[in-house]
Order: sequence, then C-alpha cells, then structure tokens
Amino acid sequence: MIATKSDRMMTVFSWGLITLFAAFCLIPFLLMVSGSLTDEQILINEGYRLLPKGLNFEAYRILLQSGALLRSYGITLFITATGTVLGLLVSASLAYSIANRRNRLRHAISFYVYFTMLFNGGMVPFYILISNWLKLSDTLAALILPLAVQPFLVFLMVSFFRTVPEELEEAGRIDGAGEVRIFVQLVLPISKPILATVGLFYALIYWNDWFMGILFLSEENKFPLQMILRRMVSNLEAAKNLIPSGAGIALQAPTYQIRMATTLVTIGPIVVLYPVLQRYFVKGLTIGSVKG
Amino acid sequence: MGGKTFMRGIGRYPFLYLLALPGVLFVFLFSYVPMYGILIAFKEFNIRKGVLGSPWVGFSNFEFFFTTDKLLLVLRNTVFLNLLFIAATTCCAVLLALLLNEIRVKWFKRTAQSLIFLPYFMSWVVIGMLVQSFLGGMHPTVDGWLESLGIAPLNWYYEAHLWPWILTLIRVWQGAGYMSIIFLAAVTSFPDEIYEAARIDGASRFQMMRRITVPLLVPTISILTILAIGKIFNGDFAMIYAIVGDNSMLYPTTDVIDTYVFRSMRVLNDFGMAAAVGLFQSVMGFIFVVAVNALVKRYSQDSALF
Repeated sequence: MIATKSDRMMTVFSWGLITLFAAFCLIPFLLMVSGSLTDEQILINEGYRLLPKGLNFEAYRILLQSGALLRSYGITLFITATGTVLGLLVSASLAYSIANRRNRLRHAISFYVYFTMLFNGGMVPFYILISNWLKLSDTLAALILPLAVQPFLVFLMVSFFRTVPEELEEAGRIDGAGEVRIFVQLVLPISKPILATVGLFYALIYWNDWFMGILFLSEENKFPLQMILRRMVSNLEAAKNLIPSGAGIALQAPTYQIRMATTLVTIGPIVVLYPVLQRYFVKGLTIGSVKG
Repeated sequence: MGGKTFMRGIGRYPFLYLLALPGVLFVFLFSYVPMYGILIAFKEFNIRKGVLGSPWVGFSNFEFFFTTDKLLLVLRNTVFLNLLFIAATTCCAVLLALLLNEIRVKWFKRTAQSLIFLPYFMSWVVIGMLVQSFLGGMHPTVDGWLESLGIAPLNWYYEAHLWPWILTLIRVWQGAGYMSIIFLAAVTSFPDEIYEAARIDGASRFQMMRRITVPLLVPTISILTILAIGKIFNGDFAMIYAIVGDNSMLYPTTDVIDTYVFRSMRVLNDFGMAAAVGLFQSVMGFIFVVAVNALVKRYSQDSALF
C-alpha cells in the first residue's frame, strides 16, 4: 500500500493528539506520586511538581504505622469482598432467570428491574428507609446491601446468557441433569469471562463508593478509605488524624505529603490490578447490552 | 397464555423462579419501597410520627421551592452542566476513538489506551482530592504553571464563573477515555469489506474515516447520547459534592438539584422539602427519558432504548 501525503498527515496528527491526551491523563498521577515523595517544606513553598525534588519517605513511614489507616483499609477490603460476592451471586441468578426462555415471567421481571433505571424515589425516602426503617445507620451493611443489584450489570449478564446456545441446556436435560445442575455445571463454567467482568465492576463500585458512607456513617472507626480521604478534602488538618501518637513527628506534620500518600495508597490496588481490570472491562463493554 | 398453563410453567421449572427471587427482593427493598416514601413530599414529615403518621400538607413543600429563585438556579445548573459534560465527553471520545483507530503501531496504541482509560477507575473523592491539591492551598500548582506562561494567578475557589468549565475538563479527563473505548469497540466491529472496497476505489484514510467510520458510528453515538440526555435532570452528586463540597462561594454555578436536596436534608433537616424537590426531579427525569426515547424511535428503531 502506498502511503499518500494525506495518509501520512493523518498518522502524524493521530500520534500527536493521542500523545497529548495521554499526557493530560497521566499528569495528575505524576503530581500525586511526586508529591507523596516530596519534603513537606518544599510542598508548602513551591506546591506540587511533576518530578520530586529529592526523595522523602516520611509520609509513607507515618502511614505504615498508622492504625487508623490500616483499620480503614481492612474495612474497605471487607466491604469490597463481601459486596462483590453478594452482588455477583444475586445478579447472575437474576440475569440467568431473565435470559431463560422457559421463564414465563421474564418480560415482567425484566421490566420490573429496568423501571428502576427510569424512575426512583429520590434520596430522601432512600435515606429514611435505610436509617429509620431498617436501622442500618453506622453499620457496614448500609454500605453493602443497597448496591448489591446494579440493573446495568444485570442486563449486561442477561445479554451474555442469551448467547448461550439452547442446545447446551437441551443436551444437559437429555443427559438427565436437573435445572440446578444445568445452571451450576454447564452454564456458569462457560460464563467465566462475563462473571469476571461483572465481578470487577462490582469490586470497583464498592471500592470507590463513598456516597453510602457520607449518608449513613458518622462513627470514624467505621470509615472506609474513601471516607478518610473525603474528610481530608473537607478538612486540611484531618491528615493529622492518621498520625499515630508515638510516631515522633516534629512540630510540622507533613500534611500535604500525607494527603498525596494516602490518595496513592487508596488507588494502589486499582493500579496494581489495572492490566486485568482493563482487559475485562473492554470485553464487557459491548454496546446494546444496555437494552433490556 | 391462560393462568393454568402459566402455573404449570412455574411448576415445571421452579428453580428458574427461585433464582430470580433474591434479586427481585433486593430491587423491591431498595428501589420500590423508597417510591412509597414519595408520600413524604406531601407531608410535614416528622421522624417520630413516621410517613403515615405525619400530617398531610398538600403541595406546601413544593411551594417554597417553586416560589424562590432557587428552583431556577439549581435546575439551570443541573441541565447546563450535564449538557456541557455530554457534549464535551462525546466529542472528545469520538475523536479519540477515530484517531486510535488510525494508529497501527501496537505498543503505542495499547499504552495510549491504558493511559486514557485509567482515570475512569478513580473515585470522585480521589479526583476531588487531586483537584483541591492542585487548585487550592497557598500556592496552587496550576497557578505556578500559569505564572511561567505569564498569566496572572487566580484564586480558583472564588471564581464561580470558571467552574462549569473546570468541571467539564475534569469530566473529560475522567470519562472521555472510557467512552472512546466503547466507540473503538464499535469501530473494530465494522466489516472489513467496506474499507477494502473504498481502498480499491482510491479513498484516502481521512475519506474513509469521514465517509464510512463516522456514519457507521452514529447509532452508537446516539444511543449513548440518549442515555445521557435521559439523565439530564440528575445532577452527578458524587462528582459535584466530592469536588465542590460545602464551598458556598461556588454554589451559584455548581449547585445542582442533587446537592441541593442533600443539603436540605442533612443540613437543614427539611425532609419534606428535600423529598418534594427529589420527586420533582424524578418525575421530570422520567418524562424526559420516555419522550426522548419516543422521538428517537420515530427515526431510528435500532437506536431506541425500549
């Protein structure tokens, strides 16, 4: 193929703009990493820079000893693990049921779930339901249960289960397998990619959620990571809460540095798992799957 | 289908219905029960008396909101911000997808995709923290950059008129890469034969992009835009509150329906009024999404949602 002048310009243009946008996406992360490694005094005088001036691990040293941060990490891990398993179980079962042609209620159930994407009662009744009727304020259940069925993810799975060939279930039935065995031993194993995708979606939702926290949590010892971070945003001094009393800090606590270090620690698992996350997310993002 | 055959259907495959049950219950509890709570909008709500026990007050909860200029302000902010977000993110995402599609060097394409997709995985609190760190404080980082360019530094958190654009930029940073990957997935599914034929006819890559890829992308673009427009009355609470928080200086341009409802409820403790505003929003949103969908159905059955 002969590259014409117009085609070559197209290539240059594509490389240029994509590089620019990729840099735009990367810069805040660079500032964050560099900030977490920069001496507090430099941060106060000069602000955050793309590359750190010298290396200073003070913030990480403090965070490693911080019982408050460790506890909150544990809470976030617990919420994410429990929520993902629960969400996956409930949503996959619901989706399989909706996708199955032998379910005569499938259209009704599908609409019943879909309708909640169009209309909702709003924040106030939801708040009263959780805090007054279910009395879940200041429990981790308030952070887990309300997010367990995401209609969008249910329909993502429905569209996958619809592609499972009916012959597979037919064959299972001829071999004498019951409905339970067909689902557990035939359908679920070939659904691993979609289960992984949806599982990661759920994990991300739980890891990143703070709305439930801000609505229902007031006890600091139950704060997940996002809430710790949220408090630091609204109150500069809050970074000091993470400093253990025996850490031997000089007069000036490294507030600006700790803020960046805590942010980095919060997004750490996402960045570490990112290659896996990305692969599955791209797979799961087939458009049209949103349709009920 | 008669009632009898129906019951037999359930009897034959009880497991199928049992599987749906937990999900149905979850949706009922967390989505349908709050719909009953809508009654609060018409009551002088008192937590001790409960929803049924609180006295009816008709539409007086709505009156306050409708008679002050608050309604117009938060409604305008919500719609305006959402329109900015939709337009900016969609345009950037389409452009990114088209350009990524032109890149043949594998490692570059893969690295670029990874980088532009990464911000989507950050929580709004993390983003709020970054924004505050780089625009706030004694010497905002961004101000340092502006100074080196010869531009006078700004006190960002006092300049309300700038925030719709700042928020849009943040939105593009966070979401354009994600959306571009949806578009790119659509582009790679287009049949090769069309491009082959165009190449034989001597079309340049730019012509193929303009005459083939873009028109074929239109259904995907319209689905995503409709999805977004259907939610135009839903302010993004998580985003706005994480970034703006309780910064009342910025309310004139950034206070959306959802943040207003949240404040009415948690700060003013005015549950009735907050519920009324929330109900107004839900109804408007519902009407809007149904209307937009009907409109789309008229000219392109494929792009409609339901």
